[in-house]
Amino acid sequence: MSDTITKDASAPAGDNSPKATPAKKEKPERVASLWSDAVRDLRRNPLFIIGGVLVLALIVISIVPGWFTDGSPFANGACDLSHSLERPSAEHWFGYDVQGCDIYTRTVWGARNSIIVGILTTTTVTVVGALLGLWAGWKGGVIDSILSRITEIFFSIPTLLGGMLIMSMLPFAGNAYSVSLVMAVLGWPQIFRIMRASVLSNKNNDYVMAARALGAGAGRITFRHILPNAIAPVIVVAAISLGVFIGAEAALSYLGIGVQPPQISWGLMISDAQVRFLAAPHVLLFPAAVLSVTVLAFIMLGDAVRDALDPKLR
Amino acid sequence: MRGATQTKWLVAATAIALAATACSTSSKSSDDKAASGGGSIAVQLGEPQKGLIPQDTAESEGNQVLYAVFAGLVDYDRKTNAPRLQVAESIDTQDSKLWTIKLKDGYTFHNGEKVTAQSFVDAWNWGANQDNAAEGMPFFNKIEGSDELAPGKDKKPTAKELKGLKVVDDKTFTVSLTAPFSQFKTMLGYSAFYPLPKAFFNDPKAFGENPIGDGPFQMDGAWEHNKQIKIKRYDNYGGTKAKLQNVTFKIYDNLDTAYNDLRADNIQATNKLPISAMSSVAGEFGDRYINKPESGVGYIGFPIAYNPAYQKPEIRKAISMAIDRDAITKTIFAGTRVPASDFISPLINGYRKDACGDACKYDPAKAKDLFTQAGGLPNNTLELGYNADGGHKEWIEAVGNQLKKNLGIEVTFKPFEKFGKILDALQAKQYQGGFRMAWQMDYPSIENYLRPIFSKVAIDSGSNYGGYVNDQFESLLTQADSAKTEDEGIKLYQQADDVLIKDMPYIPVYTYQASAAYTKKIKNFDTDAQSRYNLAEVEMAG
Amino acid sequence: MGRYVIRRLIQAIPVLIGATFLIYAIVFFLPGDPVQALAGEKRADPIVAEMIRQKYHLNDPFIVQYWDYISGVFRGDLGSSLQGRSVSEMLGEAFPYTVNLALVAFVIEAVVGVAAGVMAALRKGKFLDQLILISTLLVISIPVFVTGFILQLVLGVQLKNDYGIDFFSVSFNEDDGIRAYLLPAFVLASLSLAYVARLTRTSLMETMRADYVRTAVAKGLKRRRVIVRHALRNALIPIVTFLGADLGGLMGGAVITEKIFNMHGIGGLIAQAVYQKQGTIIVGVVTLLVLIYLVTTLLVDMLYAVLDPRIRYE
Repeated sequence: MSDTITKDASAPAGDNSPKATPAKKEKPERVASLWSDAVRDLRRNPLFIIGGVLVLALIVISIVPGWFTDGSPFANGACDLSHSLERPSAEHWFGYDVQGCDIYTRTVWGARNSIIVGILTTTTVTVVGALLGLWAGWKGGVIDSILSRITEIFFSIPTLLGGMLIMSMLPFAGNAYSVSLVMAVLGWPQIFRIMRASVLSNKNNDYVMAARALGAGAGRITFRHILPNAIAPVIVVAAISLGVFIGAEAALSYLGIGVQPPQISWGLMISDAQVRFLAAPHVLLFPAAVLSVTVLAFIMLGDAVRDALDPKLR
Repeated sequence: MRGATQTKWLVAATAIALAATACSTSSKSSDDKAASGGGSIAVQLGEPQKGLIPQDTAESEGNQVLYAVFAGLVDYDRKTNAPRLQVAESIDTQDSKLWTIKLKDGYTFHNGEKVTAQSFVDAWNWGANQDNAAEGMPFFNKIEGSDELAPGKDKKPTAKELKGLKVVDDKTFTVSLTAPFSQFKTMLGYSAFYPLPKAFFNDPKAFGENPIGDGPFQMDGAWEHNKQIKIKRYDNYGGTKAKLQNVTFKIYDNLDTAYNDLRADNIQATNKLPISAMSSVAGEFGDRYINKPESGVGYIGFPIAYNPAYQKPEIRKAISMAIDRDAITKTIFAGTRVPASDFISPLINGYRKDACGDACKYDPAKAKDLFTQAGGLPNNTLELGYNADGGHKEWIEAVGNQLKKNLGIEVTFKPFEKFGKILDALQAKQYQGGFRMAWQMDYPSIENYLRPIFSKVAIDSGSNYGGYVNDQFESLLTQADSAKTEDEGIKLYQQADDVLIKDMPYIPVYTYQASAAYTKKIKNFDTDAQSRYNLAEVEMAG
Repeated sequence: MGRYVIRRLIQAIPVLIGATFLIYAIVFFLPGDPVQALAGEKRADPIVAEMIRQKYHLNDPFIVQYWDYISGVFRGDLGSSLQGRSVSEMLGEAFPYTVNLALVAFVIEAVVGVAAGVMAALRKGKFLDQLILISTLLVISIPVFVTGFILQLVLGVQLKNDYGIDFFSVSFNEDDGIRAYLLPAFVLASLSLAYVARLTRTSLMETMRADYVRTAVAKGLKRRRVIVRHALRNALIPIVTFLGADLGGLMGGAVITEKIFNMHGIGGLIAQAVYQKQGTIIVGVVTLLVLIYLVTTLLVDMLYAVLDPRIRYE
């Protein structure tokens, strides 16, 4: 079980493959020890255990929502206007939404799209942003200038416009993958800037000088020494962004990019509920609560992974 | 040490909090200034799309202002919606083709210039000239000579004046139409037919920012874009003078904000309520909440011109009968829309309740039978398109759920950013599914609910987005146009309406209700069929 | 340093020209008819629409339109909207509100965010730390529209109607001076606030473990001095990076906040222009935003050298 968790946990942090692969070519046995250290650390960390269990539960719900509800939200007559906005009851824990659909069933079945959007976008943004940031920060000079100027243009392109543009070029749209792609393309500069800054402030540290003096190669220094030290702020931002991406997906559905009804996602549920928030708060609060728990789980995992990777704690 | 640090932060935080509340009690609301003359109020408005030129304004927000600043030949009775002479003394015709219009004395523009027959003729000539690219240009199509002023793309106008317009004297002019049109008088209240002062022609652009009209109110400074438009009473107005001294149209882009401002009495009236207010407004505003029929009709249309799947009227009828209009208008719209039972708005002379009959009645069993007999839809799937900017998602989804349940089909949804995008997609024959659409009248005539939406000419230049064509319908319209009397005309238009009901080119789903609310500060507030404020009659309460 | 700044400013020229070209091209090649977008739900009359197209040269080929536009820009003319309003006038109207709003939000975000993060880091796991975590989850999962609306209802309507306190106006009122910006700025800053607080917390916790902080403590420096002069100063690098990148975001991305409080700033202007496909407005706003990003990143890069003397630019 802990193996599964480790894999999942390292995904959002995005430091798994970049660190392991290039370093492996040089001295595989050292990598193993860094990782076994980290894993040993993680296993003992209660934050990691709680966060991991929660994430695992969410993944199971996403894969087999049918285990957790009797009905399917896609069944004929699953929604009936005569139940519109009914409050939570013993049989219907979360109550009904405006269309008269059972909110609990929809929350369970909406998990898949939301989890895909959250994890896929966060992973892509983090891996791409962190790698480019690492490169720009370490190399400096022309590479840094070019990459930095590109991010400035990306930052300035309004999300709406960028979304429409990418969408018009996509052969597929209106699902969890198209929305992840759009958000990833527009979202990576933030991680890039943070990673670059982190690298800049770490590359002059004594241990980097020491490693360099000892004749370590550039790849080894960046991935073995700088990355673990510089990754902390990236993890923090990534964990929060995961929740933001899940919520923001709904905004893009308006443009036909995001998940489209009759498909379900938490972002859509929250966004649809907001206009009637005063009359029927439960329609908004239940999916919002589930989203909160998800973000909490990833923040816990992020904190744990960060601690495990921080060499200063050794 | 540690304690000290904490305290410092705490002090800083409290200081911020205090700064936020400290001077609170000292500030008093400033809009309470004792009314000099008739008092001043503020009302909700959206930013008008274009300069405030009557001939170039085709949308509701600009119209709202023009309605207060201008007076047309006719106005409409708020109860019956029949045309009522305003600046015109008389509008007569023998054959519905040649019309003689006489003006009343005493109307002047806000700069003192007299309103004469020439003021109208010049304004119409300007509007009809394609070089001016005025939104209201199509309204002059019926006047003789309009083709010379608007010959079309890549051509130059060959005349400057409509030859159908003749000034007889200062107070009289005649209008000759290309073909008889019994509803012409009803059209004349539309803003494109308002008069313009000479000052307009010197600088139309500047005029659009600070229009000079002949109405009960005049501009009080230029339009402050995205912020407000201020108007004040015009004391030399030729008609019944306004009671209020000042009105500010406060510009909003979000109805929720406007509603909260109304609750706080920062504005005194709104003619549009947000969805969030629907369930609570009646309780909060009591008899200061207005919910009455308005001119709009909401439809679901299909691209029948190029998608064979929807070409059978039975399919469209089956879909219509599978929609529970009652449930949708009651739950989703909380009674602010009413199930439609005709293609015509209930406000209009010629409307027949339940004209649509069984085709608009909810009957899932019959709908399913009819649907199966007609062969159903390809892939058993229906797509419904809507524009995501107009609050249509909920009702379209509700319709989708009902169709899914009652017809046993899959329903998918397609949002478009703006309604214009639906039109683009239909024009390019790209979009294959059903789509929502609505019609808001230009002038209160039964004809305005038929020709602009369902006639052949409206495919290119009107709102016949589905591409429906029926020759019988066309010939009934022509006959009705040349009817000798109003009543005879209406009978013929109703027959045309019956053709539509038989064919169901669009499915009428609901008709709109005006939902307006006002605060305790004012009285005699009302809105008309196009949800325009009756500012000239509003008074301060008590 | 001076040469570095000059080099960066020179780089800005191609970036700006490239950005205007790129944005103009995107808008040009996106499908959709701007004239119809203006006409609303009724079809624009074909002749009238054609006349408008001719008037604004919408039928010209891309390169001709771009040339007209860019040569206009060099003459100081940013073109006009399809409604005939001058774009520079529209920018001039919208920009002051946006700048003020963004600056107030920025101050709230920086001051409150860093303060909260420092307190959370110093008392890890205590009440304040938990409070920050919960607030973070709330701002992620409850849409800004809802929080903004509720604050407006409570502070703008109920405070006035029930207690006679007319301090926060419902919709933005310029005559109220800075007071008018407080509530919208707080709403706008709330999400970024969460990022800043959590970044500060993590970053400070990391630097507190660094050798030089240990050295400083060992030297017998006062705790406050250690935190502020040594730990926080170094911890600020990722935070400054985030804040720098966010400033532009606060300006261009305040669409919902502007809507809730009826402010007519850049965010709303750009959203509307994108929906209506009005190229001149979009290019005008985006170019301005690129400029802002260029300047803020330059400032941030220079700040790095101040915060960490080991970072040098040659």
